[in-house]
Amino acid sequence: MRLRALFAIGALPALGASSPTFNRDIAPIVFSHCATCHRPGEAAPFSLLTYADAQKRATQIAALTSSRFMPPWLPEPGKGDFANERRLSASQIRTIRQWAAQGAPEGNPADLPPQPKFVEGWQLGAPDMIVTLDKPYTLAASGSDVFRNFVFRPAVNATRYVRAVEVRPGNKKIVHHANVLIDRSGSSRLRDGQDGAPGFDGMDVKIETQTFDPDSHFLFWKPGTSYSEEPKDMAWRLDPGTDLVLNMHLQPSGKAESLQPSIGLYFTDQAPTRFPMLVQLEHDGALDIPAGRVDFVVKDWLKLPVDVDLLGIYPHAHYLGKDLQGLATLPDGSTRWLIHIPDWDINWQAVYRYKKPLFLPKGTVISMRYTYDNSAQNPRNPSHPPKRVGNGDKSTDEMAHLWLQVLPRSAPDQRMILQESVMRRRLEKYPSDFLAHYSLGALLQAQSMPGEAAEYYRRALLARPGSATVHNALGATLLSGGKAKEAMAEFQQALRLEPGYSNAHYNAARVFLAEERFGDAIEHLRAVIRIDPRDVPALSDLGAAMMATGQTDESIRYLHEAVRLRPDYFNARYNLGQVLAEIGKVDEAASEFRAALKLQPEDADSREALRKIGRE
Amino acid sequence: MRRAFSIAVLAWGIFASSAVLTTLDGRRVDPLANTGAKAVVLLFTRSDCPISNRYAPEVERLYEQFAARGFVFWLVYVDRTESENNIRKHVREFGYRFGALLDRKHELVSLAKPVVTPEAAVYARGQLVYRGRIDNRYVAFGKARQAATEHDLEKVLEEVAAGRTVQPKTTRAIGCFIEDLK
Repeated sequence: MRLRALFAIGALPALGASSPTFNRDIAPIVFSHCATCHRPGEAAPFSLLTYADAQKRATQIAALTSSRFMPPWLPEPGKGDFANERRLSASQIRTIRQWAAQGAPEGNPADLPPQPKFVEGWQLGAPDMIVTLDKPYTLAASGSDVFRNFVFRPAVNATRYVRAVEVRPGNKKIVHHANVLIDRSGSSRLRDGQDGAPGFDGMDVKIETQTFDPDSHFLFWKPGTSYSEEPKDMAWRLDPGTDLVLNMHLQPSGKAESLQPSIGLYFTDQAPTRFPMLVQLEHDGALDIPAGRVDFVVKDWLKLPVDVDLLGIYPHAHYLGKDLQGLATLPDGSTRWLIHIPDWDINWQAVYRYKKPLFLPKGTVISMRYTYDNSAQNPRNPSHPPKRVGNGDKSTDEMAHLWLQVLPRSAPDQRMILQESVMRRRLEKYPSDFLAHYSLGALLQAQSMPGEAAEYYRRALLARPGSATVHNALGATLLSGGKAKEAMAEFQQALRLEPGYSNAHYNAARVFLAEERFGDAIEHLRAVIRIDPRDVPALSDLGAAMMATGQTDESIRYLHEAVRLRPDYFNARYNLGQVLAEIGKVDEAASEFRAALKLQPEDADSREALRKIGRE
Repeated sequence: MRRAFSIAVLAWGIFASSAVLTTLDGRRVDPLANTGAKAVVLLFTRSDCPISNRYAPEVERLYEQFAARGFVFWLVYVDRTESENNIRKHVREFGYRFGALLDRKHELVSLAKPVVTPEAAVYARGQLVYRGRIDNRYVAFGKARQAATEHDLEKVLEEVAAGRTVQPKTTRAIGCFIEDLK
């Protein structure tokens, strides 16, 4: 029976002299395309490392590779040339099908290639720092998928540069994918654990920062992820107080599961010199999908104001997303596919990195076109019967995002120019948008345009009255424009709205210091220190104000603390030198002034101070 | 009177095609023997099939609902070679509270003809009245609804429980092919 089949197939021209065997034809495919996940301890439900493993699932393997469910790879071939592509070729699939149909023969043992070697544990070696969730999270046995965010607080004393991040999900059977977000605002930790379990719910996390500090890296994990370091000059900054948020898609397995993820951080001493940026195309505001609609389209576009290299791309929609397209229209009118996912499946969402950076010249229009299916025919539709759907971070809401990691081509750092385009485009979509006005205010402030910046801040306040953040930023802008009195009114307003607002206390103190109202300044600086005893600029200023009011001992104590926390903070060194000189501790004073000069060799004041104490 | 007679005839039918299997705790049983159960529900499964596993809570729910109403449930493990220890661990981990049969020779597989795991077969009065999916949650391997909208197995059990005559029915289940274990 088997012989006859063999002859019949063997006669087909597409096939070589004999029918496929595991050892010769199937093992090479399985080892390179499946075993990364299908091996002990990994995410897949069973191993595919031996003939016995594959033989008892031959029909299954043939069916699932034919339907292209496995290996999972969503982008359409030929539309974006991506690294680590897992897609099988048509001829590989044909080989698997023939092998299964012919009874999955093992073949000649001599043909079997060696099993692939995998690194156990941390893929990039022992991390420099590991942060682990304090308490395990328990996922119920049944129910729909869970999207959970866990907050990690890496304890670093000083700024570190991160060259790689590795996620160990803790329980690979239930983790479908994970994203690491950098939260420099401290906003996520406020949400952490509010419902009694570690973390907080939500498919997407929105982090609003008060400074322009774009998170520029995709930090993504999915089963089978191959980790790589960021290029040497593209490490990212981890400051004291920065939180990492691990956004996880969890799938119940049928029994209650415990999960305790870890993140490994790999540091480098080399500060980044190239700064990629994540640019987001989106139009969540256009998401208002009537129940039953099969082809609801959402679009967005952005004209690039600078030359960039496109490094990676991350499309994101929820369960109704059907066809996701990203396109670039070059200045000469020609178009290039960035990505096309014709059958979107959130279960396999991923970051796709281009094999080679894709150059997009200034003037290129990048665009997205997403189609949504909110009909009952879409089995993934979370609502039955379908309901009208808007945007949001729940799995029953929708999203329309296309993230692009771009690296501006020329120095200096052009991210602000890019960010300004993004925000101006955002204003076109949402004319009274808070975020756009606030961001434009901050961008113009950074470009020393206080008048224009103040205007945007005022409009931001119209969109969100009572925002302490904006009152404080407006105050800072007014202050830099020389309007101290108006600035003080804004700081005080911010403090009325949020009495524990450290930045507003600090800014108010700066105004008082400039007016030599040391008592008032000290009051506000003490408030800053109460909130964060490690705030070095506040400690240094407090030391200076104490000195001015003759409280020498306290002054020295605060300045010593500032120097201990940050030996490279110029102001603290200089102030400490001054107060030590004043009480006659000339040697110690000289050593502080010299340290200050080491940090700022051109500083005339320090030189003058040294001269005064005769230690030039 | 005539009704009782027809039951007897049907019952005769199953005895002809019954199968004696070993349970996980070492007993020899014929799950289809006429023990007076309202119906016998066979749930074909294997420990390494993610879809089977994800159905464990739903299967438990059905067991809880129908065991008290005179239904007998059996898990039928179809992997010929898997060790009893492994299967025991699986039963414990997924919290199944009813008996498990080891269908090493695929006797029940030959009788009920399930294609994949998980798949259910329901024998009422000795007759196979349903074979197929538990519900319609899965549309294809890897393509699932958030929750099922058609509870096929539950519906059949309700009909049997209500004493209605059930037209034998089959549906297509999504899962791991049993063919591979032949």
